[in-house]
Amino acid sequence: MKLLGAVLIILASTWAGIEWSRTVSERSRQLRQLKAALQSLEAEIVYGITPLSMACGHICRQVGHPVSWFFDSFRKKLDAGHSTAYEAWIESMEEVWKYTAFKQEEKEIMKQLGATIGQQDREHEQKQLKLALIHLEREENEARNNQTKYERMFKSLGVLGGILLVILLI
Amino acid sequence: MEEVLRLLPEGVKRIIQNFSQNDKESMEEIRIRINRPLEIMMTGKPVFPLLNGSEYYVSKDDAAQMLNKLSQYSLYALEEELKKGFVTIQGGHRVGLAGKVITTNGHVKAIRDIASFNVRIARQKLGIATPLVSYLYAGGWMNTIILGPPQSGKTTMLRDLTRIMGEGDEMRRIQSSKIGIVDERSEIAGCVKGIPQHRLGHRVDVLDSCPKAEGMMMMIRSMSPDIIVVDEIGRREDSEAIIEAINAGIQLVVTIHGHVMEDLYRRPSIQELIRSGVFERIVELSRSDGPGTIKAIKDKTGREIRRKKVM
Repeated sequence: MKLLGAVLIILASTWAGIEWSRTVSERSRQLRQLKAALQSLEAEIVYGITPLSMACGHICRQVGHPVSWFFDSFRKKLDAGHSTAYEAWIESMEEVWKYTAFKQEEKEIMKQLGATIGQQDREHEQKQLKLALIHLEREENEARNNQTKYERMFKSLGVLGGILLVILLI
Repeated sequence: MEEVLRLLPEGVKRIIQNFSQNDKESMEEIRIRINRPLEIMMTGKPVFPLLNGSEYYVSKDDAAQMLNKLSQYSLYALEEELKKGFVTIQGGHRVGLAGKVITTNGHVKAIRDIASFNVRIARQKLGIATPLVSYLYAGGWMNTIILGPPQSGKTTMLRDLTRIMGEGDEMRRIQSSKIGIVDERSEIAGCVKGIPQHRLGHRVDVLDSCPKAEGMMMMIRSMSPDIIVVDEIGRREDSEAIIEAINAGIQLVVTIHGHVMEDLYRRPSIQELIRSGVFERIVELSRSDGPGTIKAIKDKTGREIRRKKVM
């Protein structure tokens, strides 16, 4: 009976450790997705001169979840007729953000981008998108550093923590 | 009208919807100016509609909404249109814009801070050119000039004539022709993304917002039209391209600004065209009985073959 309890505790803590480490690697994966999406958006705007809602429709077919959800929701809001693109952008962010592994920094970057999206000429749209991409690049580097640093640590911490708890309880 | 309503800011839309169907039919322009009352032109007269007993003053928000809808929230997609000062929307309607103009090297780069919108409602007048057909067709369409002062319905006439040529007329045993339209000001076909919004028949190809002289040459080289339709010719290059087209065996239907045929002899770039007699029919329009009044139809020597009956 004791042994079964010990195994259960160790299994649970190992699982918690793996989940924990996943949030770290998930963030850098989603950051890569978001960057790819914004790069597509840049191409759609600068070379395709595609209106936003159509461009977002193309993008959500190109990138994976959950980033595609954001562009899908943004597109739907534009098609339904919102007062400004910024409002639709912010509302879509509020809706989708909780399903992502993004942190406050990414939120700020996207908010800033949303403030001018669709309201300027091509040149300026491109500048804003480039700027956002540079910021995201920095976040991605940081996320990747964290990933290498913490991913393994969280996993071992889970297992070891479980063992510690078992030893203490026994 | 649906296409126009979809574009208008909510406040303005509600007012327009209150009008009767009849009044809606007679609307020609809807003018939206920031901080000034909404104006609607109905059969040539300005109307300032009331809402709750007072004129509706257009707010900045209304204008922003209008611009957002016009550009589909993507101003960058309107760059060319902002340079030209108007946007053609679905249905061939056209929205004129005015505001603060940005220039580079003395050329207009764009309009920013747009303060005035003029929604011009396009109505195709089907059948307006039917009375012309028997004078312009004899086994084949003749090279024709439609002549008239501004607002005399030249373009409307040209559009309907294009439709008749493009669709053909079974009753008179006129076959449909391949038509090339060089539509420098996007007025004849009212294209949205290259697709004509007006009814012009199935056999029409349009070079939208293309310079006329160059466009005519492009049409001759690549699209093998039977007839080329061009609006408002007047420059020397245009005349050269016309001669080129006629030598290639293509018929031409064009419009020119002017009151009577004699005016054309005074314009150096056009007089040679008239003298050489390549245009077999000249249709003079006036606005004496409203736009589209046919004043006279003349042959190439200036002899009238039909005169409007004097009542």
